Amino acid sequence: MKRRVWRFAFFALAILVGVTAGLGYGWGVNPVRYASTRPELLRIDYQADFVLMAAELYRAESDLALALARLDYLGEQSTLVLLEATLSFAQKHRFAPADQALIQSLAEDIHRALDGLQ
Amino acid sequence: MLNETQEVHTSPTAPQKRSPLFLLSGLVIGLLLGLVYAWFINPVIYENTVPASLGATDKDVYRGTIAQVYAITGDLERAVLRLALLEDPEPVFELASQAQRALAAGNDTEARALALMASVLQGAPQAATPESVPLPDTPVEIMSPAVPTQTLPVPASTP
Repeated sequence: MKRRVWRFAFFALAILVGVTAGLGYGWGVNPVRYASTRPELLRIDYQADFVLMAAELYRAESDLALALARLDYLGEQSTLVLLEATLSFAQKHRFAPADQALIQSLAEDIHRALDGLQ
Repeated sequence: MLNETQEVHTSPTAPQKRSPLFLLSGLVIGLLLGLVYAWFINPVIYENTVPASLGATDKDVYRGTIAQVYAITGDLERAVLRLALLEDPEPVFELASQAQRALAAGNDTEARALALMASVLQGAPQAATPESVPLPDTPVEIMSPAVPTQTLPVPASTP
């Protein structure tokens, strides 16, 4: 009887070791690799650069709806939150003043437009 | 009288040598469970990704935006740096084929910008502007004079 208990204990231990090894391999050594990720998962610096591109295009086109549509590319998050985060990132990482001014201008125009809607 | 009854003595405490195969099977079962959990039930979720990992459609949007910004600002250095983030194996080909798709979809502005950038990267005059890049009537022909496609047949011999 005691032997059976020991055998069961060792079996359970072996399963535990196997699960640990499987998790280590599946999460650490060879995790699932996504062939295509979504834009909202981009690192903040890439998101900031995309916002800058939208701002550069907005300066030339003066089309706020188009600018908002472009910013929608970066996901469901609020556009104002996105712009604030981008501005903060741009200031912290010392973007060129002209680039910061572009983002600022776009943010102000969007703010103004949203205020006008309310 | 012959007593046919015999007593058979066995040693009940004799150790039975069992193989440790049950340990190995436990290990394999555990490993499979672990892998199923790590790969299918609760896989790694990536955050802070790079543009190169975007899907094809999102890459097209990113590439189109880069080209349109270049068409407006003329900042080739920045455009090339941005384009490099997508890690396209053949950036010129990607730009050209996307220009064709944009033209077919009726998006002339983006098609021109993409075609402009493709032609500039191909080595066309740097002073090119979006307006100076000709757009033919049919989308199929848009880049064929300037940008070779991957489907062009290789000439068997040269004259």
